[in-house]
Amino acid sequence: MQSILDNLKLRYSRRNSEIVKWKDDTGGKVIGCLPMYFPEEFVHAAGLLPVTLFGGNGPITHANRHLMTNACGAVRSTFEDLLSGKYDALDGVAAVLICDQVRFFFQVWSLDHEFAFFHQMWRPFNMSEASRPFLLNELKRLKSGLEEFAGKAITPDKLRESIRLFNETRSLMRALNDIRKTRPGLLKSSDLAKAIAAGMIMPKEEYNSLLKKLLVQAQDLECEPGEKPKIMVCGHPCGMPEEEILDLIEEMGAVIVGDDFFTGSRYFSVDVPCSGDPVEAYADFYLGLTPCTTYHYPQNWIEQDRSLSTYGDYVADYVLENGIQGVILLREMYCDPFDLEFVMLKKRLEEQNIAHITLNTGHEAGSLETQRTRIQGYLEMLSL
Amino acid sequence: MIVAGVDIGSQTSKAVVLKEDHVFRSALFPTGTDLYAVARKVVENAAQELGHTFDDIQRIVATGYGRVSVPFAADTMSEITCNAVGAYHFYPDARLVVDIGGQDSKAIKINDEGKVVNFAMNDKCAAGTGRFLEVAAETLGVSVAELAALSRRSGNRIRISSTCTVFAQTEIVSLIARRTPQEDIAAGLHESIVSRVYGLINSIGPGDTGRVVMTGGVARNDAIVSLLASTMKREITVPEDPQIVTAFGAALVAKSRLGSE
Ligand code: SF4
Repeated sequence: MQSILDNLKLRYSRRNSEIVKWKDDTGGKVIGCLPMYFPEEFVHAAGLLPVTLFGGNGPITHANRHLMTNACGAVRSTFEDLLSGKYDALDGVAAVLICDQVRFFFQVWSLDHEFAFFHQMWRPFNMSEASRPFLLNELKRLKSGLEEFAGKAITPDKLRESIRLFNETRSLMRALNDIRKTRPGLLKSSDLAKAIAAGMIMPKEEYNSLLKKLLVQAQDLECEPGEKPKIMVCGHPCGMPEEEILDLIEEMGAVIVGDDFFTGSRYFSVDVPCSGDPVEAYADFYLGLTPCTTYHYPQNWIEQDRSLSTYGDYVADYVLENGIQGVILLREMYCDPFDLEFVMLKKRLEEQNIAHITLNTGHEAGSLETQRTRIQGYLEMLSL
Repeated sequence: MIVAGVDIGSQTSKAVVLKEDHVFRSALFPTGTDLYAVARKVVENAAQELGHTFDDIQRIVATGYGRVSVPFAADTMSEITCNAVGAYHFYPDARLVVDIGGQDSKAIKINDEGKVVNFAMNDKCAAGTGRFLEVAAETLGVSVAELAALSRRSGNRIRISSTCTVFAQTEIVSLIARRTPQEDIAAGLHESIVSRVYGLINSIGPGDTGRVVMTGGVARNDAIVSLLASTMKREITVPEDPQIVTAFGAALVAKSRLGSE
């Protein structure tokens, strides 16, 4: 198990050179997709390789010249990688405009760097049936843009085939997540996040076969359950969560049984339906995603007896249903969707008497030693 | 029974050695760079004060930033828990502890059983901590104690707008250049630290009942204590030796762990 895990972590760590290698080996074309929720299946069905773009964690030197100082870490580090030439091998880039920062950044990007394929997909912020026609239109616009670029038709059968493949990836990822949840100690949360992220940069065919082997090898591995406090970790809307923080939480004796990371449950929880028209199915998928701070649920604000924070409800329900003792909120600095929802999320947790702590994290965030004290103090609070 | 708590802070290391009937002695040294050496020295000194040796101690709990560098400690515990345990021991009616140390400040809410129910620590930098006052005093060319005395004589408190310690230093230099009276600058500095700490306290929903206890080195600064009390509109209790409360809490934890073995 460990050697496959190490391989996946390595692939993630050298994600930019992986693109070059894949192109050299196959002669294919690569589309960089910004987090989050990009319909990668459409890219795959057009015969192209979709690769999620994760920023690095090195210092920001070029990007600050172009971006406002309150840009989030995900945006700044991705822009830094672009300016320092790390994405030169890409044939195209695409994004779902999930928030204003991504929209702004992506548009600045289009002024600065020409790509043969450049596509912005508008996703309705209002997640309700009323948005379906708009969403369908946007999916069709993406489909025809890709068809034109690839010179190939994306037939319903091809798209359905891609959806099946990606659903398999999601289900394998869920099985990997179950190892962390049910056999804590076998799989560190930071390794899980990287293993999931590897699946967003590698061809799914190869990734799925590696993950299947890993799961077979993990079948017989045992671990002592112990009496450890169970924790859910939330936040970090777009990027890779800080490895050191996840490791600290686990080193200090907690078990992370759930998260809502992009490199976690937000990516693999829900499958795309395989029956019927695949573009319609994709719209169904979007309308049924697990709640996230980047969507709005206006219906909840209109109807008086509904909760104001669907995301807050989701977190609180997850905690109560899974016997979790507390929530650690990783607050990505300058992520406005998360910050705006944060107040209601906290209120919801307080209403349910769910103990929580907020750690400010993100690119170039504070010292790890103070985080250690906070985490230890919090876990002592839960267990003493 | 002889147990000890050792609190390795960023500026000062403290130890409390405790025996039956809560008889105890404490010791305190500047932390320096060799954390292991200072931890050993401070525990040895406190043990000697009590008429014992290091080897007589049956269990040691380490806390503070340097807690992981104390190999002879049986356990480590965060300063948040130790501080609450210590404050609750001295004042069972304490419901809020405000601790301002060398490089961090904390607000800890505790319940009627002495358990921590919420806490907050200062973020990232030294604003709102003892270090802020030290740097400011150095810039004004006075001691921290003189700074407190100066602030009490002020008739016109200046607003220090920088919360960052380094930028505040620049601001002080320019205030000096504009011949602002030292008393007014000192009062502004105290106000700045108190407003930071007050913000921290409010972030945990402090409630308005129960005793407020202030610990840590800065609790010795009565100008800060009275300014915080008037800002909070609450009375604040300062223990006789506010700097050793956390080490005392660690010693109590050591005692309970020894008992449960
Ligand atoms: S959702 Fe948050 S983290 Fe993601 S790009 Fe937008 S602001 Fe940045």
